[in-house]
Amino acid sequence: MQAENIIEMLHITKEFPGIIANDDITLQLRRGEIHALLGENGAGKSTLMSVLFGLYQPEKGEIRKNGQVVKINDPNDATALGIGMVHQHFKLIDVFTVLDNIILGAETTKLGFLQKQEARKKVQALSERYGLKVDLDAKVEDITVGMQQRVEILKMLYRDNEILIFDEPTAVLTPQEIDELMDIMREFAKEGKSILFISHKLNEIMAVSDRVTVLRKGKYVGTVDTKDTDKQALSNMMVGRPVQLEVVKDPAQPGEVVLSVEELTVPSHLHKRNAVNRVSFAARAGEILCIAGIDGNGQSELVYGLTGLEKASHGKVTLCGRDISHASIRRRGENMSHIPEDRHKHGLILDFTLEQNLVLQKYREPRFQHMGFINQGAVRQYAQQLIEQYDVRSGQGPITVARSMSGGNQQKAIIAREVDRDLPLIVAVQPTRGLDVGAIEYIHSQLVAERDKGKAVLLVSLELDEVMSLSDRILVMYEGEIVGELDPRTTTVQELGLYMAGAKRMGKEAERS
Amino acid sequence: MKRRGTNLLEREGARSVLASVISIVIGMLVGSLLILAMGLFNSGLSLASAWDGIRLVFGGLFSTGRSASGTLTWGFNPTSIGNMLFRATPLIMTGLSVAVAFKTGLFNIGAPGQYLMGTAASLMIALGIPTETVPAGLVWLLAFLGGALAGALWGAIPGMLKAFLNINEVLACIMTNWIAANLVTWAFDGSQYRNLVENTKSAYIYKTSYNGVATSKLGLDLIFPNSQVNGGIIIAIVLAVLVYILMTKTTLGYELKACGSNRHAARYAGINDKRNIVLSMAIAGALSGIAASLYYLSGNTEFFWSTYQSLPATGFNGIPVALLAVNHPIGVIFTGCFMSMLDIVGLQLTNLTAYNEYITDVIISVIVYLSAFSLVIKMLLTKRSKRNRTAAGTTESAPEKAADAVHTEKGGESA
Repeated sequence: MQAENIIEMLHITKEFPGIIANDDITLQLRRGEIHALLGENGAGKSTLMSVLFGLYQPEKGEIRKNGQVVKINDPNDATALGIGMVHQHFKLIDVFTVLDNIILGAETTKLGFLQKQEARKKVQALSERYGLKVDLDAKVEDITVGMQQRVEILKMLYRDNEILIFDEPTAVLTPQEIDELMDIMREFAKEGKSILFISHKLNEIMAVSDRVTVLRKGKYVGTVDTKDTDKQALSNMMVGRPVQLEVVKDPAQPGEVVLSVEELTVPSHLHKRNAVNRVSFAARAGEILCIAGIDGNGQSELVYGLTGLEKASHGKVTLCGRDISHASIRRRGENMSHIPEDRHKHGLILDFTLEQNLVLQKYREPRFQHMGFINQGAVRQYAQQLIEQYDVRSGQGPITVARSMSGGNQQKAIIAREVDRDLPLIVAVQPTRGLDVGAIEYIHSQLVAERDKGKAVLLVSLELDEVMSLSDRILVMYEGEIVGELDPRTTTVQELGLYMAGAKRMGKEAERS
Repeated sequence: MKRRGTNLLEREGARSVLASVISIVIGMLVGSLLILAMGLFNSGLSLASAWDGIRLVFGGLFSTGRSASGTLTWGFNPTSIGNMLFRATPLIMTGLSVAVAFKTGLFNIGAPGQYLMGTAASLMIALGIPTETVPAGLVWLLAFLGGALAGALWGAIPGMLKAFLNINEVLACIMTNWIAANLVTWAFDGSQYRNLVENTKSAYIYKTSYNGVATSKLGLDLIFPNSQVNGGIIIAIVLAVLVYILMTKTTLGYELKACGSNRHAARYAGINDKRNIVLSMAIAGALSGIAASLYYLSGNTEFFWSTYQSLPATGFNGIPVALLAVNHPIGVIFTGCFMSMLDIVGLQLTNLTAYNEYITDVIISVIVYLSAFSLVIKMLLTKRSKRNRTAAGTTESAPEKAADAVHTEKGGESA
């Protein structure tokens, strides 16, 4: 008789210097179920999965497969036990073809020669059976993110894995792709494969999972049947306090135009066409204007063009009545704060301390320096005030090295710095990416508060939920152009999705094309 | 916090110092082994002479010669120490030059070229302005500043190539080094500064004392009699402290370090990254130029002007000096002194034993290799202290660091 639980992780404890990442956690995965693992950043989800995948050895606890105790020393052991994992950041070789990536590490060989034909047949069969459409001969660097994910899934299937771990699989997908993925996961479960689904997106968990295990700060909170719970209850379990899931805000009261963009054009580094092509819009005081779109449709370049990180080849940008089309970054910064998309590349100097990062634009102000000498006391005091006011948590307060802080707190530090500059325009690019419910709630409320203070907020987001709930007006970007302007109160996610995918355009534009 | 005192290995700074000390000790042990091997396998040498050599490697600075009975004598040797400080002066300066560039994310391998340009400028000013009409002190100051300026300009060239054309500074530095070597040879060739008085000296420039220009001794010759030491060492130490203040206390230092650690973020914050790259190379170049000024303005050093085939070792030795000091400006004072102490050791070996100064060249080269590895050693020490901590099961403090380890898959998108 087969045990009901295919994998049991019993009383797992994993310590890192100074912190217990997993403290006596038990997770039981039943055969053929979709089991969601829910928790905030730093709750220990990834650590627990890394233990299961053999990347870490737990100090205490045991792992059983079909009731037998097993020892997983490295990912090869995990593969041998039929455990496969799709990592959040795909582990693919860009310059290899799809087929080569799938068979890499599990090649069939004869006398040392690759037997690709056999492999190709097997992959083709799998791909047809599950509707995982991929082009086997395309190079990974040329295919879409969605297809890359299908390649990762095929990798697991090719190795005959029966326990499939998905680490935040939907973060990079469009709504339509997410639906497809959900269907595929259900199909796997029907066939008796068992799925561990790591996420902090409650909608998806409610839609696809059978059971949910919740972790909080390294501890096990509980396991519940999805059908007996709801989003609110789950988020309360995850955060440990009642959470406001919906963004609460009054209708916007747009004031005068703060930012006006006319025919802005930014060349692309990736291709010959323009990344941003003759984009015009205006952002008003007291509104949250959202630029929606699938990743890579020119949103990043639009922000670079506005903030001065990249030179625009054409067009005019007016901020607070000043033409800043050719102004330096510092001059633009006099009226614009910028929560950048990439917090490690642009947002922080990771080797600097938190306090040094908090004065990244302000160190020249008279209160922080005198004749070129930095006033350490004033910097420390200011940092402490921001840390307190914005609840930035770190090991050693102002002198914590930014690199050692958690992602959520790094982002909070950036938000604190940028919001506190108190400037008429806030450009926020994916401000909640990779953050958990608690932090998202906080950041959203901050942005709404700034709007209510009369700031113009330009939000660039890939998260549909965020776009729909936070914005007062939506502009959809597709292939470098604005293809639609929508009102979040009257539009639907489906309609938004159609604009984002390029299937629909504003009336006039459609005629032209 | 609490642990700071109890476990030294926990501290970043302590680990850096320890890593450097390990490199140094290994270097000296290799030198000792070499001496021992030569003592054992060479019929002309004995084990006793090898023992003398090894003792000199470690304590050469405090050797006072041999007694009448032939045994080594030890004690405070003001001449050796004074000479050590004199030779340390240019090394501290080139070390600072490399360290400042490192701190701002640049590898200044152009110190030899900047040093040569500084040499040429200083000597030409010191010998070219007649001291009959201009006070010698003023000539000295002009020569000193001229050396700094020449070095700064020479350093700014690779800086500009890097900032505006994105040409790797290492390549540009290597090329400007050789351009400097040829330029300086050409400038002195046929010039009035060649020493034609002493006919034993071919291809040497006059000492600056020929024109009555020499660095003030500042009373150091009283403390260290019979040595070459002069006020240059004090200037070098003051400059090291100034560099330390510049890098840690000023907005300029903040900007330079910001550009060095993350050029993108610096740009995002409105800092002019191009200006700062040029500026930090110019500062580095000025420090190398000053190294040359302080060395050649001493009044008793001569410059071999036909240098088109070789680059000054002092420039390159700035690299290990900076590496051993983990690019800390104050640390550079000590590592500069250490490197020059090895020179003194070499002299003592030559004078007092059958061995010669080439042993110390071996030691220096081993340390140069190892100092590049000092980061690796530091990493090993970090690992070791972490393992000890996990084994001991202590769990207080530093939670964020580990939390970061938990997050690595999540946040590691940027490079």
